[in-house]
Amino acid sequence: MADLSAAYLGLSAALFAIGALGLIRRRNPLVMIMCVELMLNAVNLTFVTFGNMLNDAAGQAIVFFVLVVAAAEVVVGLGIIVALARRKPGLSADDMNVLRG
Amino acid sequence: MSSYLPVLVLFVLAVAFGLLSLLVSITLSPKARSQAKEAPYECGIVPGREAPERFPVKFFLVAMIFIVFDIEIIFFFPWAVVFRELGGYGLAVIGIFAALVFESFVYLIGNGALEWGPRQRQRRAEIVSPDRTLTSTIRRVGAEGRPAALEPAALAPAAHHAPGHGDHGHGDHGAAA
Amino acid sequence: MSSLAAVLAQAAPGLTAGPAAAAPTPTITVPDIEWTALLPILVLGLGAVLLLTLTSLARGTVTRSGYAIYTVLVATGAMATAAPLWGRVHAWDHLGKWELSPPYGPFSAVAGAIGVDGFSVFITLLIGVAVILGALLADDYLRREGIDGPEYYVLLLLSATGGVIMAMANDLIVLFLGLETLSIAVYVLAAIHLKRVQSQEAGLKYFVLGGFSSAFFLYGVAMVYGATGSTNLVQIKDLLAVKVPTHNALLLIGLGLMLVGLGFKVAAVPFHSWSPDVYDGAPSPVAAFMASGVKAAGFAGLTRAFLLGFGQFASDWQPVLYFLAAASMLVGAIVGITQTNVKRALAYSSINHAGFMLMALQAASPKGVTGLLFYLATYTFMTVGSFGIATLAGRTGDGHHDLADYRGFSRTNPALAGLFVLFLLGQSGFPLTSGFVAKFGSIAAAVDAGSWHLAVIGMVSAAISAFIYLRIIVAMYMAESDTEAAEKAPKAARIKVPFGAGLALVACALATIGFGILPNGLNRVAGEAEPVLVKEPVPAAASGADGAGLTGLDLTTIPTTPTTR
Repeated sequence: MADLSAAYLGLSAALFAIGALGLIRRRNPLVMIMCVELMLNAVNLTFVTFGNMLNDAAGQAIVFFVLVVAAAEVVVGLGIIVALARRKPGLSADDMNVLRG
Repeated sequence: MSSYLPVLVLFVLAVAFGLLSLLVSITLSPKARSQAKEAPYECGIVPGREAPERFPVKFFLVAMIFIVFDIEIIFFFPWAVVFRELGGYGLAVIGIFAALVFESFVYLIGNGALEWGPRQRQRRAEIVSPDRTLTSTIRRVGAEGRPAALEPAALAPAAHHAPGHGDHGHGDHGAAA
Repeated sequence: MSSLAAVLAQAAPGLTAGPAAAAPTPTITVPDIEWTALLPILVLGLGAVLLLTLTSLARGTVTRSGYAIYTVLVATGAMATAAPLWGRVHAWDHLGKWELSPPYGPFSAVAGAIGVDGFSVFITLLIGVAVILGALLADDYLRREGIDGPEYYVLLLLSATGGVIMAMANDLIVLFLGLETLSIAVYVLAAIHLKRVQSQEAGLKYFVLGGFSSAFFLYGVAMVYGATGSTNLVQIKDLLAVKVPTHNALLLIGLGLMLVGLGFKVAAVPFHSWSPDVYDGAPSPVAAFMASGVKAAGFAGLTRAFLLGFGQFASDWQPVLYFLAAASMLVGAIVGITQTNVKRALAYSSINHAGFMLMALQAASPKGVTGLLFYLATYTFMTVGSFGIATLAGRTGDGHHDLADYRGFSRTNPALAGLFVLFLLGQSGFPLTSGFVAKFGSIAAAVDAGSWHLAVIGMVSAAISAFIYLRIIVAMYMAESDTEAAEKAPKAARIKVPFGAGLALVACALATIGFGILPNGLNRVAGEAEPVLVKEPVPAAASGADGAGLTGLDLTTIPTTPTTR
């Protein structure tokens, strides 16, 4: 089988870019959290690919830590969103006008 | 690569079959739209209002508990694979880890995350406390927006007394903001 | 299966590869854990967990101020366990020989993941101070706002744990984990005021941008890992000393992405947009901790990753830091002048300070690190003091932070106004305050490194930023004569200063004056707190653990990688 490492790296870079762009463009907090997740998982793919290329186990071990961090971020983010949605139903990032900027 | 070819072919065939059957049903089926047919339930009680789109936030807490143990499992699997080789050290480490993860569960339970049933007000009990009297209520309402009137003693110079702290109705100004 | 076994290879270096279930005689060498090095982290983290457990099991039984006292004790304990490390790092023996494993001097522990040197101990102590001050400020605040409970203190301790991990990290992944521990706790802290919608918005905004920057940082780490084959700073440094990476571009992209991620955390200028909103919306004691403890941890991460790990690439990252420092100083000072909200003005002033600290770091010299640490130490006290005054002046609801709310503040609260003037003058770099010495040290480091223009920009921005502080001082002292405006604005009522906050403010004031008049002691300590990368002494049993990444990697074999798209 052909070496697809370059393709994997390209894919992860594309996913990372999609996540970053989505975070900037989309206004729904839930979608924004999903975009952060996408970025982190794109990094995971990068780590696994590099680990494979370097024949090093660390690249794959790191993924576990990143997964945990991503899950913790989701829990916290959802918690904040739930707290905010109780105050202001139907929220989007554009509605967040209490703070300037 | 060639060993994957049958899988690929099967995949293409499955998608093609799905698309074909959809296409056939769309083109050939008779159309008879009516109010009754569009309803969620074709027979039985006509729904009076939209289905509720809100669900209790309690579900969120359950989802959080799920994620907590989900993460725990991520680390349990690799540990279990080399359990024997790691020996006592691995057991101790994973025990500490599990205890720390379980700690968050203790916190959730302690905060009533799994107390289903009618909603309980945990912290706001003092608002309708039994020792609420007419004068205290009037005092509370009257205090809104006039903080200066509240503290005649504090305005006097050198009145540094620390007690008398709780009788200003703290926290109610903030709720109005 | 093999990938799962590979995970354990990371957790326990020395594991011979292969499917673990099939191999009857794998030798898994457990890392030699140097518990004394981990004690500050353990005290903070376990202190938080213990507090959470106790209060979950017995809710509502803690007496008044109990949480704050507990937090102060835990932070003091962490600092007390960090102090012997300082002695060990500097090979003090006039205190008597301890039963410590030789050799004295900086060392690294836990398979090279943690590095203990003067720098990390200094930052640990600083974060401990920030936690103590944050707890003292919050004690009465939380009760006043009706959000009393253990959560604030638990999160404060947890985020401090992350900060200390960052300060000690010798591995980029450990640095990332510390960064996330710190950040995730602070996201919640920012949103902890349930009755203020601004607080939750600040939390969400901080969360989204923080997650964004964390992802950038991690992607940078991944690039560095791809280019060098390791995430351990010691191994990377050793590797780069002997070999030229074939994928220099990959490494540089990685460095750039890491800089973006950390730049967000310290609110350097192109990445600063969250900070005024978040400082404004977050509860004031949280803003105080964010401006002190979080910033200290962020700069610790910057120093460890860039100055230590990639010191050879200084000529590559120095220009970037140069730009960030100049932009932070100028934008922070100029935009800060236009703010009418005191907390926002303080946020911009903190951006300005971040610029000064970046200027010191940009020098990439021991003098620069000394300047950075001195700046961080003095700035911690000044900014906590300023936000402490804002905590008290915000009154119930934490919403009175407009300049108009400070009219007549000097008459109603002369003592608080006097302290605020002291903190503001200190931040502006007024002589005889610690801020003057700090700014001087930072500028001197830049001059030594030949960055004349940056030093000039720094001085100009210091002059401009003085107007931020003057505006607040003028509002407090002189606006009374403006009768029309004074009538319109609500009179600032006399504020009862609670004991905890009073203690914190007095401590901050003493530090601001003390380090201003007698800076030599702190300066000497900061000078001794140099960051060093030390290789883990290879134990006989785990000889394969340390050198594996170095010897096993041949950089020329890394295939070409299209990563820029």
